[in-house]
Amino acid sequence: MRLSDLYFLMPLLILVGAATLNMLVVAVKRNHKVIFGITIVAHLVAVFTLLQLNGSSYQIPPFFVMDGWGIFNLGLILLTSLFVTLLSYAYFEQREERKEEYYLLLILATLGACVLVISQHFMALFLGLEILSVALYSLIAYLRTRERSDEAGIKYLILAALSSAFLLFGMALVYAVTGTMSFPEIGVYLQSVSELPLLLLTGFGLMIVGIGFKLGIVPFHMWAPDVYEGAPAPVTAFIATVSKGGMMGLLIRFFSQADAYRYANLMLIFTIIAIASMLAGNLLALRQKNIKRLLAYSSIAHLGYILVAFLAGNRLGVEAVSFYLVAYFITSLGAFGVVALLSDTERDADQLEDYRGLFWRRPATAAVFTAMLLSLAGIPLTAGFVGKFYILASGVNTQQWLLVLMLVLNSVIGLYYYIKVIAAMFAQTKSVQERRKVLHPALSFASGGAMAILGLLLIWIGVYPTSLVQLIRGLLATFMTTF
Amino acid sequence: METTATTHLPSDYLPILIQFAAALGFVIFAIVVTHLIGPKRHSKVKDAAWECGVESVGNARTPVSYKYFMTAILFVIFDVEVIFLYPWAVNFRGLGMEGFIQMIVFMTMLMLGFYYVIKKGILKWE
Repeated sequence: MRLSDLYFLMPLLILVGAATLNMLVVAVKRNHKVIFGITIVAHLVAVFTLLQLNGSSYQIPPFFVMDGWGIFNLGLILLTSLFVTLLSYAYFEQREERKEEYYLLLILATLGACVLVISQHFMALFLGLEILSVALYSLIAYLRTRERSDEAGIKYLILAALSSAFLLFGMALVYAVTGTMSFPEIGVYLQSVSELPLLLLTGFGLMIVGIGFKLGIVPFHMWAPDVYEGAPAPVTAFIATVSKGGMMGLLIRFFSQADAYRYANLMLIFTIIAIASMLAGNLLALRQKNIKRLLAYSSIAHLGYILVAFLAGNRLGVEAVSFYLVAYFITSLGAFGVVALLSDTERDADQLEDYRGLFWRRPATAAVFTAMLLSLAGIPLTAGFVGKFYILASGVNTQQWLLVLMLVLNSVIGLYYYIKVIAAMFAQTKSVQERRKVLHPALSFASGGAMAILGLLLIWIGVYPTSLVQLIRGLLATFMTTF
Repeated sequence: METTATTHLPSDYLPILIQFAAALGFVIFAIVVTHLIGPKRHSKVKDAAWECGVESVGNARTPVSYKYFMTAILFVIFDVEVIFLYPWAVNFRGLGMEGFIQMIVFMTMLMLGFYYVIKKGILKWE
């Protein structure tokens, strides 16, 4: 352990410190505002220390590596978690249950995802994954008096534990063949063999089960709708973004460090998964009346889109994944943020009926939600369009015509159910629904401000993507020098 | 095929497999044979569920006090903590100052957590 290691790990250490501090403050005196403040400040400080690190690759043997890809993902995760925190305050203020521990768990889950994206060793990977998962179990079932929260929590617990077992067994098999758990050394071993040994392929296959579960891609997607529906809306936003994005970051790091792109059978597995995810996600969403479930199926499809860029396996592909992750994070946060904003003390606003005529009641909220849905559908002038265009470019660039064709086809299918929600929002309703009791304006300021920023970011990236592209290119310069 | 200390073939593990089969086979054999040839005498007292010598009462599916579970979890946490302490104590000189600092950090975190659960009233039993 060197002192400079501490400097490079500072964002993570700050999260650890903030979690401990929150715990102590809760023990001394419960105060929602104080805990919320500490959490916000901790995220800001962590982002600030992250900005101090330059993009050069720094090894912390044997577990971690801080390179451009890691810093990009850390920044994305920290900022996303910051927005989730902002959205959480008004949401949890309405509820009587103990609110303070929520922030503690949220910080820990963020920490887990941060460990995940900078790990270059199976042990660090597993530690990060478990910190993330264990925090998520309790976050999902946090509002325990709700009807579906126990169901969602237990389902996630059992399935995540099972998928962890698969992942561990896969790691054990890889270790049995290669004799190492560090990604670069596995890459060195793979270079020395001409063909992928059967045992190693089995190991990778089992690991794909574990990774696929966290990404929520077909055929490991069954948990997504139930968990999305049962979890509190801010937690759903967290699962859709940080948890999936962290795993995606890890997957790309593993594949590029171990140089596993050159094995046709591994790529075939991912091709099938990508096509199945796009199709299943979009088709199952078509007749969905529940907004949270609809967004769950939509996120399955979107992970399928991201896999198309991942399969390109070159620099352009990673750039496309990075860009799409940013666009998708903003969009998901915005969409679930609207759900959180409209939720009352009894239940989340997850029925399509809750949104009928929303535009005439709350025009600003409806406008933000419309922008988010259009971005999910990939309509120009939104971030989602540029992201999808980037993915298409990377697919065309590597001549993956089947994947490109499926992507285009699915975008058209997807358009239907996004438009359906938008149409419901603009529908004229005869019966005047009573306005829900609005919280004190100062309370909902954090949520409103966060939503406004998300909406502006979405449009800004959609209209002027160059700055983000340059940022991503600059950070990726130290990553993947092999391509 | 010649094997050295570093290369093991799958066939080298055959004895372990045989051992497993033998162990499993013995268990099955013992259960089946005692079941077949053992004498069977039934009586009301003998067929009753045995609860540590106390007369059994009611259904087993009654709510168990929640505190019991929390105490059990606490026990597990501090049990695991002690497991980490032993190897550290044995290698105290070898690990030196760095190991000492790491252990202090670890213990501090745990003690802070302990303070939290105490304040939360986990050991209040009335």
